[in-house]
Amino acid sequence: MLKRINARTAFAGLLVFLSVLGPGIITGSVDNDAGGITTYSVAGAIYGYNILWTLLPCLLVLIIIQEMNARMGIVTGKGLADLIRENAGVKVTFFIFIFLVIADIGNTTTEFAGVAGSMQALGLSKYVAVPLSAVAVWILVVKGTYKSVEKIFLVFSFFLLSYIVSALLGKPDWGAIRHAMVHPEAKFDFDYITMVIGIVGTTIAPWMQFYMQSSVIEKGLSIEKYKYTVADVVVGAIITVVVAFFIIVACAATLNVNGIKIEEAKDAALALKPLAGKAAYIIFAAGLFVASVFSATILPIATAFYVCEAFGFEAGIDKKWKEAPEFYWLFTIIVLIAVGIILLPGAPLIQITIWTQVFNGVLLPVVLICMLLIINKVEVMGGRVNGHFGNAVGWGTALVLLCMNAVFLGMSVLGS
Amino acid sequence: MIANTTIYFSKLLGANVTGEDGRSVGRLRDLIVDVGGQRPKVVAASVSSAEGPRLVAFGPCRIGSEGRRAVVEASRIEAASLPAENLLYIKKHLLDKQIVDVDGRKLVRVNDLVLDRGQGGYNLVAVDVGLEGLFRRLGVAGLLGRLLKALGRSLPSKLILWNEVEAVDFSTTQIKLSKAYSKLDGIHPSDLADILEELDHASRVALFNSLDEDRAADVLEELEPGAQVRILENLSEEKAADVLEKMPADEVADILDELKSEKAERLLAEMETESSSEVRSLMAYPDDTVGSMMSKDFVFFNQSMKVGDALAELRSVRPEAEEVYSVYVLDARGKYVATVSLRDIVVADPETRLGEIMNSVTDPLHDTDSAGPLAELMLKYKLHTAPVVDVDGKMAGTIVIEDVLEYVMRKR
Repeated sequence: MLKRINARTAFAGLLVFLSVLGPGIITGSVDNDAGGITTYSVAGAIYGYNILWTLLPCLLVLIIIQEMNARMGIVTGKGLADLIRENAGVKVTFFIFIFLVIADIGNTTTEFAGVAGSMQALGLSKYVAVPLSAVAVWILVVKGTYKSVEKIFLVFSFFLLSYIVSALLGKPDWGAIRHAMVHPEAKFDFDYITMVIGIVGTTIAPWMQFYMQSSVIEKGLSIEKYKYTVADVVVGAIITVVVAFFIIVACAATLNVNGIKIEEAKDAALALKPLAGKAAYIIFAAGLFVASVFSATILPIATAFYVCEAFGFEAGIDKKWKEAPEFYWLFTIIVLIAVGIILLPGAPLIQITIWTQVFNGVLLPVVLICMLLIINKVEVMGGRVNGHFGNAVGWGTALVLLCMNAVFLGMSVLGS
Repeated sequence: MIANTTIYFSKLLGANVTGEDGRSVGRLRDLIVDVGGQRPKVVAASVSSAEGPRLVAFGPCRIGSEGRRAVVEASRIEAASLPAENLLYIKKHLLDKQIVDVDGRKLVRVNDLVLDRGQGGYNLVAVDVGLEGLFRRLGVAGLLGRLLKALGRSLPSKLILWNEVEAVDFSTTQIKLSKAYSKLDGIHPSDLADILEELDHASRVALFNSLDEDRAADVLEELEPGAQVRILENLSEEKAADVLEKMPADEVADILDELKSEKAERLLAEMETESSSEVRSLMAYPDDTVGSMMSKDFVFFNQSMKVGDALAELRSVRPEAEEVYSVYVLDARGKYVATVSLRDIVVADPETRLGEIMNSVTDPLHDTDSAGPLAELMLKYKLHTAPVVDVDGKMAGTIVIEDVLEYVMRKR
């Protein structure tokens, strides 16, 4: 169909956009996984509208970082793990990846926490739900039909829109929101800073950067389509942040107003209940469940894949276990540890979730700095190195993130 | 570290370089190797000094050790005079990059490199792609090695000799090699296609461009459609047309289907008319019809021809294997008459006429038939190829079993 259209019409532009569509938007949807939903819900419940302002800088940073990943992927055709290994050497790669694996074990744990929580909301014990879904995930990957599931997930991610609906139904006080975004009333204490880092970490998770770059490469995008790829990235980032916004608003309007703190995922579902009744409760649980299972599948695969890519092992779900043993073993171990943690009796699911996102947020500036160093090398990027603006924002962000980390670590050491 | 004359490159990085008076001149940052000759020879070292980086000729240098660290002792420090081409920098171009393991027919990552000392100086001998090399770079190989030894095992180590690897990742550099990619000549096109698919874009294009047209055509056939399109887009239209002309028309039709129609048109126009008209007629068939899958390359004779003469003809024409599982008997007007399997030709008496051994029992396929039942049909009659006729009964092409297999696998 594309063939018969004169490239000069706007319609043609839209078609090109749709054909390029994918990496940014898919990444944007996957970003709202169990970790995201939980973190935003907790943030909204505890701080109400006073934490919304963090989403704006998050949006800006997300777009900047993802654009860099897309550009690196298009220009070099190499994955981020590849580029880090080739440009930063083995030692740096090793340290980054140790932390990445730890972060991703945490993230995977969070996904299974989402499975446990959503099933809890429906009355099913975690000891049944989690092992079953872990086995399902494992079979899905090892038997290799993950691609078809990706499409199913995208359909189910529409469930997240239920938050938008319920937030609007609750008739939020837009005036108060506007006010809180410009003049947030909050003590910048340890808990607040932790939450901010958690929000940053869940919106701009390091593993997503690797994922985004790989999907750009897999789509075989060329430099001519760059404009459209940037549009795709921006749309994806906006989707993520808009959904996050409404999750926070929905929880702020219902839970925060009534002083309800979120102890379990069940409480987050309560945010929907008074507005849309029992049906919303079920929609939330189902949506969270699907998002969690899907991310629980992607995360360990992605992590294992990038580690193998960096260290020269065969990897890929199209390969048999015998052909890529390190890949499959890494995947299996990550899933096993994650499931193990969740199944510990009395495991504080919400706490684990928040702290993993914080860990993401702490790892982020390290990955960002690596990216900035690589993307400024002419040998790597040719004429497409960062411009002054890009560098200013990039390095500025890294600096701000590092400062936040320093404050956070300082506070946690000194005791808040 | 230095056992006999084996030297690991990773141990040399950052080594102190001393001059004739024993004073330090700087630290070793890289080694430059001349790969033009039989064995790659280290010709210079890149040394970082107080005045900036300099290239020092390696002839007068000796690699020694002070305790556990390596040192490079130069009996004289002279600037290196380097040839214009066939130079590789070990750290810049090889370390941590991907290269082709020719024997294993796949890409591997270079963790370390091995040098040795020969009569004329130092040579690059092998690359280390194994776990031991990885741990050595992390500085823990010694410790881990001893630990494992206590358990009766050792670190997995994998060294590949230099003449069994080929550097292909030139995406970031302007290297001029006179015999680039020569070691890849023995690799089967299908394996080369797999390697190409794993490379980044720039390296892929560079490698593909170095292939002669026949080999390029074989490799292009084996690539997956996405990669085929991207490579074609990066070739000049002349070169693309030359490569496409060497490919079977049905393959070309499939590839051109994936391109934008203006681009496909331009390539067809650039190709020789005979090839392009064959391709055009195939592209005219809708997807999932027998016509869209058939090959235009087949062998035919008249039924009065003797077996012996037919064999002589085959020997002179030298068709490809898939073109000659069976030969076809056509009448004077090109209408399909019957099929003769290669087996029947080979066992028959050379004086027999084709008409006596030909098989006209099974009906030929029609080019507009659906491709769906093909697999079952060919299995049922144990066919490797099947003739296809057009609406007038004239021979239009053949269906080859490989294409049916590909079709079935794609549909799955």
